[in-house]
Amino acid sequence: MAKLLVSITNAKNDSDRATVGFVVANASVASGVETVVFLSTEGVRIAQKGYADSIHEEGFAPLKELMDNFIGAGGTIWVCSPCFKKRGLDENKLPANTVIVGGAKVVEFLTTGGTSITY
Amino acid sequence: METLHPDSLYDAADLGCGDLAIALMKAVRLVEAGQLLEFRANDPGAVVDIPAWCSMTGNILIAGQTGANGNSYFIRKKGN
Repeated sequence: MAKLLVSITNAKNDSDRATVGFVVANASVASGVETVVFLSTEGVRIAQKGYADSIHEEGFAPLKELMDNFIGAGGTIWVCSPCFKKRGLDENKLPANTVIVGGAKVVEFLTTGGTSITY
Repeated sequence: METLHPDSLYDAADLGCGDLAIALMKAVRLVEAGQLLEFRANDPGAVVDIPAWCSMTGNILIAGQTGANGNSYFIRKKGN
């Protein structure tokens, strides 16, 4: 199976990029591609339940709805461990199918047939 | 043109990009293998995205038509 990692490095600081990242991730997962959203730097804030609820970029579905569709379609969210810790976020507030990972996991994915796109 | 007799109808209206793909996935899940789905979609990207989606997922795009209800894509679900 093809594999795609969608790297999202933005949250409320650039909700356009954060939103479009999930739109593309949904196109991928719904097409039968093994799809991971990798949240790093500011993007890790999205991995806190409730944070995305207030993000609704004009012209797109609300970010919460996009994330729910992504997870419901079988997508997985990875969260950069040092980025998460640096910001003092709460491991107990992660959405479903969301895992905190280190760089090795990302490298393994990309070097075993995965490709990536960054927002 | 051959008259098609779909088993199911799904109207995606103006959904596009990832929303369109999610709608395709959900609509195809609702029909049985071998059945024909009429999928209506009027986003300008749908004419490119739907053949690509069918190619990736193994479902078969039988035809595309433009009628009074907009653009319809007839997709036969794989597996039969």
